[in-house]
Amino acid sequence: MTMEESFALTDELNLLIPTDIRLYRDEFSDLVLEVAGREPERGIRVVRCFPISAGDHFIGLHSDKDVELGIVEDPKELDPTSRKSLTEELEHTYFRPQITAVDAITEQYHIPRWQVQTNRGPRNFEIRSSRRDIRVLSQGRILIRDADGNQYEIPDYRRLDPTSRALVENQI
Amino acid sequence: MSDPKSQSTTQGAAAADTPQALPSATTELPPEALALLAPEEEIHLSISTDIKLDGLYGPAWLLATKKRLLAFSPNGGGPPEIVDLPLAEIESLEIQDLYGSGALKVRTQSTGRTVALFSKTLNAQFASLPDQLEELVRQARPDDEQIITRGRLDRAYLKRRCERCGQVIPRRMGVCPGCLESRKLLSRFLSYSLPYWPLAVTSLSILLIGTFIGLTPPLLLRTLIDDVMKPVADGNLDTVSLPLLGHATPSGALAWLVVLLLLINVSRNILSAVRSYLLARLGEQITFDMRRQVYHHLHRLSLNFYNDRDTGRIMASVTQDVGRLQDFLSDGLQETIRNILTILIICSILFYLNASLAAYVLLPTPLIVFITIRFGQRLHRTYRNLWRRWAGLSALLADVIPGVRVVKAFAQEHREIDKFEKRSQDLLQGELRAARTRSLFSPLMSFLTSLGTLIIWWVGGNEVLGQTMTLGAFVAFTGYMWQFYGPVESLCRLNHRFQRAATSAERVFEVLDSQPDVDDAPSAKTMPAIEGRVEFRNVTFAYEPGKPVIHDLSFTVEPGEMIGLAGHSGAGKSTLINLICRFYEVDEGSILIDGHEIREVQLRSLRDQIGVVLQDPFLFNGSVADNIAYGKPEATLGEVVGAAKAANAHDFICALPDGYDSIVGERAVRLSGGERQRLSIARAVLRNPRVLILDEATASMDTETEAQIQEALQRLIKGRTTFAIAHRLSTLRNANRLFIIDKGKLTEMGTHDELIELDGIYARLVRMQTEMSRIRVV
Repeated sequence: MTMEESFALTDELNLLIPTDIRLYRDEFSDLVLEVAGREPERGIRVVRCFPISAGDHFIGLHSDKDVELGIVEDPKELDPTSRKSLTEELEHTYFRPQITAVDAITEQYHIPRWQVQTNRGPRNFEIRSSRRDIRVLSQGRILIRDADGNQYEIPDYRRLDPTSRALVENQI
Repeated sequence: MSDPKSQSTTQGAAAADTPQALPSATTELPPEALALLAPEEEIHLSISTDIKLDGLYGPAWLLATKKRLLAFSPNGGGPPEIVDLPLAEIESLEIQDLYGSGALKVRTQSTGRTVALFSKTLNAQFASLPDQLEELVRQARPDDEQIITRGRLDRAYLKRRCERCGQVIPRRMGVCPGCLESRKLLSRFLSYSLPYWPLAVTSLSILLIGTFIGLTPPLLLRTLIDDVMKPVADGNLDTVSLPLLGHATPSGALAWLVVLLLLINVSRNILSAVRSYLLARLGEQITFDMRRQVYHHLHRLSLNFYNDRDTGRIMASVTQDVGRLQDFLSDGLQETIRNILTILIICSILFYLNASLAAYVLLPTPLIVFITIRFGQRLHRTYRNLWRRWAGLSALLADVIPGVRVVKAFAQEHREIDKFEKRSQDLLQGELRAARTRSLFSPLMSFLTSLGTLIIWWVGGNEVLGQTMTLGAFVAFTGYMWQFYGPVESLCRLNHRFQRAATSAERVFEVLDSQPDVDDAPSAKTMPAIEGRVEFRNVTFAYEPGKPVIHDLSFTVEPGEMIGLAGHSGAGKSTLINLICRFYEVDEGSILIDGHEIREVQLRSLRDQIGVVLQDPFLFNGSVADNIAYGKPEATLGEVVGAAKAANAHDFICALPDGYDSIVGERAVRLSGGERQRLSIARAVLRNPRVLILDEATASMDTETEAQIQEALQRLIKGRTTFAIAHRLSTLRNANRLFIIDKGKLTEMGTHDELIELDGIYARLVRMQTEMSRIRVV
């Protein structure tokens, strides 16, 4: 096989060229995608390809019928308005507060109940199974899913205050 | 409906009862929000949420009156964010199931905005909101335009909380620990022992006597010291007086005490052997009854019961839960009674011997109870943590060892070794921590129990020195002390045991208390021999209330007709077939076979005459012949071979080493899919059913196998009313009529040619499949 014949994986990506597109909110506060030379698409849904490992790269833009229209590799390359609209939409779609302190973890019937402070305010939640619902990633990062399916994140538990840290360590 | 304030908590009421279960739902509407209302305005709908519109946690409210939709969202120190929309302008409502939260979006002709954000904890409350809002919007709008509601919330998480109290239900447990009424459950469970009351009473009395006898040796020791040895030591060598024996020589008294001790030991051990056999027998009898009852009941229950639960849990009820109850009965309960008896007897003996010393000696008991419980919890946590690490390690092994070909193919051995080492290291840390806790525990406990002895030595010793207490009583005291703490410790762990048994009892009773949805009416008649006319009259059916799968369906099928059922997946084809078999009861309308309403005939006589061939044929462990004759165990060998021949199965069966006696089933996987399918066809045919149901009988088979099965089926359907579901439409070409089902309705009906002519769903499906097969050829 010669080099010309082999296909490049990157051709499969369907990347949107940052300078060709514009993203903004319309009067219905829906996200609109304008690609140069095409009809604007309304009601865009944003999908993170790597919601955990690279949430701010490879953002899929889906039509309201859930067809992928293309992928934005790095929102930083977009113009400021588009970038702001995209970030807003991502924050709306992916609600995963960051835990800044753990006040207490009590347990009833083997169900741990966490009382925490997050960057979105105080919150209490219960975890069904520490083994399945607490995911410890590298560099002390922890993802938590509570009994109802809500998600929380500890960016680095090793950098929490000592009390919080001890409480978290007991659970993982 | 006149006081707005009383109306304001309609939605929140459920949450208010359980503040713990729904942590962030606040239901008290603040006065500022009420001030938004005009004096005469009534609140028709009010719901509190746990995320404000600015995306921060905190209470916010969504209200609707007859005219307006209001969203009130406090904004830290600043003024609240208020959304105020006239209901009449609302064009569409959209509930968005987002990653980690949900949102309600409302659109008018010219604008749109999010009016509520909520965490998934509130999904249950918000799931029905769009319907309620839609109703209000409809009332507010004079003209009858359609308003559009979009989106649906994922309900999968709903089952994770108890319906009654909102408590999170632990995985694997399946029942709410908060609503568990342990006492009630256990007494219900113990009521199973009523038929065996003589056995129970006998074994309990033996238990009582045995425990008492077992506690007498220290008393003998006291007699030996005080009444025999002390007088002798004091120089009294001729006679001593014993409490029961009267006067005797010292050596005679000693011999008498030795014989008594021997008798006590012998009788204690005999009684203990008899007791443990009797109690074990009681336990076995009760669990036997229970297991039988559960299994019997399982077979009476309808498919609905099985759909709601996973098979593993049901099997666990029959084996594990019943077993755990037996364990509780024959071991836990017995031990508990014995421990309580022991403690009571020792206490009374101690107080009888020396009341003030007894009070001193029992002083450390509360401390011991407290520490045992605390340490027990800690130990339990440590071990659970350790168990998790073990599980992690074995999960890794279970993952990598079967995938070793891939590991080698990609040359990733080093990475896998590193991964294993990391987990192994974690395990090591956990083990060390557990070892630390463990090695602290027993020395601590033995120190605590020695406290009692210290007190005896000091207080009792002083009393002996002061002549207020005899030496024998002192020794007996020490002896009892050593027997006292074991039962105390064991009782401390009792709660955990009871809880486990109660959980098992709850699960078993949950099965026993379920009522079959489909059951014979008392007046049910036997279904006469079926001719084969099947009639649906306005049948409506829903698995979940409010979401009908079959919608007002009516048709008549003549005897001997073959009906092909086609349509998109999820259209209701399999449901229709389930209804003919009466696996479920129709909600409205009726199904008649030869004019008999199927609800009014005995289930058995109906299903006896219906043959079913499913997509994934299930064969039981047993021989080929056993499987073919499953529905008619009394079939002759000739009938079995005949059925196999009719199903085109005879040739491959004869090629098996043991012919018709070859073992097949879930664990013997030597048969191919097509072969298994042909066996299942033979099984259906042997009963000579008048109504034959083929549910995707030839899906997932290669073309040649399909041809063989098709050929067999062609012969079998002659003279029988047949319903065949197939995705591959070519399979249905011999059908007399085709029914196209779409969203639970019969949308097209007719022969292949007629439907092609009609150019509807069927024609489109046929075109798509023709194209697909062309691609496959290319």
